[in-house]
Amino acid sequence: MMAPRDFGGFVTSSLIAIAILWSLVTTDVELSRLASAGPRITDFIGRMFPPDPTVMTEIKKGSAETLRIAILGSLGAVLLSTPLAILASETMVSRAVFGPVRALLAFIRAVPLILVAMLMVGAVGLGPLPGIIAVAFHATGMLAKFYAEAIDGVSRAPIAALESAGAGPLVRLRHAIWPQMAPVIARDTIFRFELNLRESLVLGIVGAGGIGFYIQTYIRSFQYDKAASVTIAVVGLVIVIEAINITLRRRFT
Amino acid sequence: MSMAIEIDDLSYVHKGAQLPALERVSFRIPAGECVALLGPSGAGKTTLLALLDGRIQGWRGRVSVLGAPLNPDRPPPRARRPDTGFVFQEFALVERSTALRNVLNGRLGRMSPFHAVLGSPMAHDLDIARTALADCGIAELAERRVDSLSGGQRQRVAIARCLAQEPRLILADEPVSNLDPARAGEVLGLMTKAARARDATALFSSHQPDLARRFAGRIIGIREGRIAFNVPTSELKDDATAELYRGSGPTPELGPRAVL
Ligand SMILES: Nc1ncnc2c1ncn2[C@@H]1O[C@H](COP(=O)(O)OP(=O)(O)O)[C@@H](O)[C@H]1O
Ligand SMILES: [Mg+2]
Repeated sequence: MMAPRDFGGFVTSSLIAIAILWSLVTTDVELSRLASAGPRITDFIGRMFPPDPTVMTEIKKGSAETLRIAILGSLGAVLLSTPLAILASETMVSRAVFGPVRALLAFIRAVPLILVAMLMVGAVGLGPLPGIIAVAFHATGMLAKFYAEAIDGVSRAPIAALESAGAGPLVRLRHAIWPQMAPVIARDTIFRFELNLRESLVLGIVGAGGIGFYIQTYIRSFQYDKAASVTIAVVGLVIVIEAINITLRRRFT
Repeated sequence: MSMAIEIDDLSYVHKGAQLPALERVSFRIPAGECVALLGPSGAGKTTLLALLDGRIQGWRGRVSVLGAPLNPDRPPPRARRPDTGFVFQEFALVERSTALRNVLNGRLGRMSPFHAVLGSPMAHDLDIARTALADCGIAELAERRVDSLSGGQRQRVAIARCLAQEPRLILADEPVSNLDPARAGEVLGLMTKAARARDATALFSSHQPDLARRFAGRIIGIREGRIAFNVPTSELKDDATAELYRGSGPTPELGPRAVL
């Protein structure tokens, strides 16, 4: 007889093995194509080098637009999240309200940003606007949840203490509730802004504005050296964003 | 002599509770006295003090605080609240704010609404807050965030906030229960001394008879929501306190905390 834990491990490894076999057998992998593609891949990579530095203008224009999309999308998400967070908070509303609102937020989080962007391009046309709307919508799923947790994390006792000292509702909000919430809200908002900036780099690929637009354009017109330059720029931007985020996060904890 | 507290036939049952937390309680405390409310865990000390602070409604009986009757149906008007100061058992401080900011919070009810909302204290308020911190022996902790302080230091901040409020009546709910015996005596000593220096009446609850004897002029014993005795400290007999704690040892329902 196998012990229950061994049995659990056996089931898990069997499931993983079955999943891999199923994928291999039922997908038309055609490994043979990979072998014959050697020269083509060499050619493809060869044409990316050396990256074409003349696209600096496009990189600057694209990055600036991506930054604007991230800023305005984040602003939209903050504005949407504020009322939704109250409706998703255990301490502000009854279960009948926060239950469905939380389910809605989970649903929003589950829709990939690129999918929302494609739908928005269909709805409002090409350009940064669908990107901004998509970022605002997608980010709200996470931000409203974080804000709701910030609201629920506020301890009641200091509020009661200020009321006992004769402080009115506005004064209690300012001196008992806000000091508890503000650092959490600031940290969550910066964290989400960083994600928005990073995720909106690729929005242009589906026509929703920003630097990703140039990657898609150059690949379609076989200008791989230019596509390579833009890709390097995107990677560089991600690294810069990450570095800024690390320093900011240190300040808010 | 004017009365700081007058309670007549007060009863109260918590919402959802079977037994009353307070039952037919009556006593008076003249202005300027320092009184201990002594009783085991669950006796009704917190309930009685919170009720006197105007934070509990729905009781029966007659209660007057600082000469003004409490309304059993609604909290007292905001203008009267700064006159009653409260030291909370679990401190109730804003953890992310500094000690000074927390002590200044005690001034909010005395500041103009404009200054209170802006959080810009006048020099006068700052003076009072710094004096309160110094009286509690923590002047040097003013700029420290409360979440970086020890339990004993927080206790002092909580007392300093109450003193900065300049209350005429200080209600303190087990203000030293989080401290070791030596520190407990020291902190209770400075609190009662500060109350006397400000001509304030003080009513503090405790589950420790020795502390009540050392710092109160009068001791009111409470057990299961009823007043067991109400005597000047010099007349308190040992068997009276023993009777107060009868049967409140560690029982399966209450757990070891009830021994305190
Ligand atoms: N919010 C509440 N709801 C129901 N019962 C309560 C509540 N607060 C206190 N009680 C009960 O009232 C009684 C007195 O409690 P409390 O005033 O906290 O006593 P003490 O401060 O002396 O330990 C206890 O039996 C307690 O269980
Ligand atoms: Mg208590």
